[in-house]
Amino acid sequence: MAEQPPGTSAVERALDVLRARLDARTTALLNSCVRCGLCAETCHVYLADGDAESIPAHKVERVARLFRRYHTLLGRLVPGFVGAQTLDQEALEALAAAAFGRCTLCGRCALNCSVGLDPSTIIRFARSVLGAAGMAPKGIRANADLALATGNNMGISREDVLETVAWLEQDMRDTLGDTASAMPVDRRGVRVLYAVNPREVKFFPLSLSAAAMIFHVAGEDWTLSSSDFDITNYGYFAADAGAARAIAGRLVARAEELGVEELVVAECGHGYRTLRWEAPEWLGRPLPFKVRSFVEVMADYLAGGRLRLDPAKNPERVTLHDPCNLVRNGGVIEEQRTLLRAAAGDFVEMTPNREDNYCCGGGGGMLAASEHTSRRIEAGRIKADQIRSTGAKVVASPCHNCIDQLMELNRSYKLGVEVRTLAEIVADALVLPKGSGG
Amino acid sequence: MNPAALVLLAAMVTSVAGFVVLRVRTGSTPVPLAPPRGSAAAGALYAFTVAFAPWAKESASRHLPSYAAGIAYHLAVFTALITLVHSLFGTPLPRALNAATAVLVAVGLVAGAALLVKRCTDLRLRAISVPEDFFANGLVDLTLVAGLATTVCPTALPIFQIVGAVLLLYAPFGKLRHLLFLLTSRRDLGATLGRRGVWPVSHPRGTDRG
Repeated sequence: MAEQPPGTSAVERALDVLRARLDARTTALLNSCVRCGLCAETCHVYLADGDAESIPAHKVERVARLFRRYHTLLGRLVPGFVGAQTLDQEALEALAAAAFGRCTLCGRCALNCSVGLDPSTIIRFARSVLGAAGMAPKGIRANADLALATGNNMGISREDVLETVAWLEQDMRDTLGDTASAMPVDRRGVRVLYAVNPREVKFFPLSLSAAAMIFHVAGEDWTLSSSDFDITNYGYFAADAGAARAIAGRLVARAEELGVEELVVAECGHGYRTLRWEAPEWLGRPLPFKVRSFVEVMADYLAGGRLRLDPAKNPERVTLHDPCNLVRNGGVIEEQRTLLRAAAGDFVEMTPNREDNYCCGGGGGMLAASEHTSRRIEAGRIKADQIRSTGAKVVASPCHNCIDQLMELNRSYKLGVEVRTLAEIVADALVLPKGSGG
Repeated sequence: MNPAALVLLAAMVTSVAGFVVLRVRTGSTPVPLAPPRGSAAAGALYAFTVAFAPWAKESASRHLPSYAAGIAYHLAVFTALITLVHSLFGTPLPRALNAATAVLVAVGLVAGAALLVKRCTDLRLRAISVPEDFFANGLVDLTLVAGLATTVCPTALPIFQIVGAVLLLYAPFGKLRHLLFLLTSRRDLGATLGRRGVWPVSHPRGTDRG
């Protein structure tokens, strides 16, 4: 659990954060919004529900009102005039509804802000205030706590990992007809540590075996880890800096212990963002190894001739959902397109796409916040409409979090599509070297 | 220097000092430690140039009249501020420049008034507005009126200078402080997206490129 000093109320704890933990960037942002409202339709939540509370500027204003009350002269002298608000239980509840229920931290509004402010940074600050008050959604908190306690957010034991890998390895050998193919675990001194989302181990082993097959065919020197392998970070979603640092720190320490040159992050948007861009800031030092998404690595293999792909093996129409944290907030934009053009016979883009894409509705930890399920599905209508208009039979997405949401949207909106990772599509298109049995 | 000019000069010094204090108190964003994928400088440059264009900004293309009004309004404000500074030197503007100023300020004034009307009548905008939004707009509009009057009737200059002084004294304390903070917000956004290789956008927009 987040640290909560005994004998203090939720409001007092929230106030401590509000008063003390404002950094320069957040302060600048909270002084920047002019409430022009032009951001409204850039938000998928507002597009879906049409409620003024969902306008990004409105969500920012929930935080800015509190900021003005405690950090500005006019807010102290004439609070009503500048719309400054005293922090009380009611204000905290309204803030929680905005910060956890109406924002997925996708960042689309930031690209469209007249001023240039990034509302997701402000919402993360709001989440840290709420976290101090013990008002983060229980599901998000529970995932963070389980990761802190066990090394992964699903509490998967080392034995379970080894057992899953053993049968996946056998399955891969049968598929490839190559008894030398392997899924190495805990090997030291290899070039690459492939870190995964625990959901792959527990619920989506096919994406894990697809990655293993790609590594094998590309001739990579790699390993999995049986402990501290989790790329997800619910401390980030909860905006609990201590938890986020500890969770990322365990994986970083594991990579250092194994002595790898590169940490390759499986298909997970926020996992990539936190490890590639946030972890060095949390840990206060540059990482001693390279961090790349598996999407980038696969694209490199393809460009270097280490993979040969036959698009005829994936003849159905495929479209691509761009995970916000990988694309708009991560910068991995073209690699997935290069892969799909090579691996699928009929690849079509959604509109809009790339950094302009709409969030699927499952970002920001929404999938773990069961109290906001109905709004999450409602907000996903924009994505469902995008998918339907492509006429695709397969939706590819390099993010397990997005995949969970897309599968729910598939059921809720009767889209009739198959939702797959990039690795699964690429593995199906592999042209195996002569001598393989695949 | 007439008394109104002295008041204006004092207000300018106070306002600048206020903004400097604000800037110093806010501090600066630390240099990120993660190795860049792109260029922070290129991203920041993009943020202050192409990213403003309606074709690069969905919010602008969807609300073109409001966006254009906002630009005209801010152009007029900066024109008025420059005119105020110039007024301290006690020399009249050249005739052509005075005419250009009058046009810019007049257009901006109409745009500002239109935005004020929109804020009063648009339910969505009212939901996110606070009383200060109306006050700030009104005060700026009043300054523009005084500035416009001065371009037509130079004897109105002291009024323009006094109203301008009030605006400058108010600026560091209220909503108008976005004048300072938008620069850092936009630069930080551009630098972050530049480092991550998202900005500058390097692909054609608005097409279904498979």
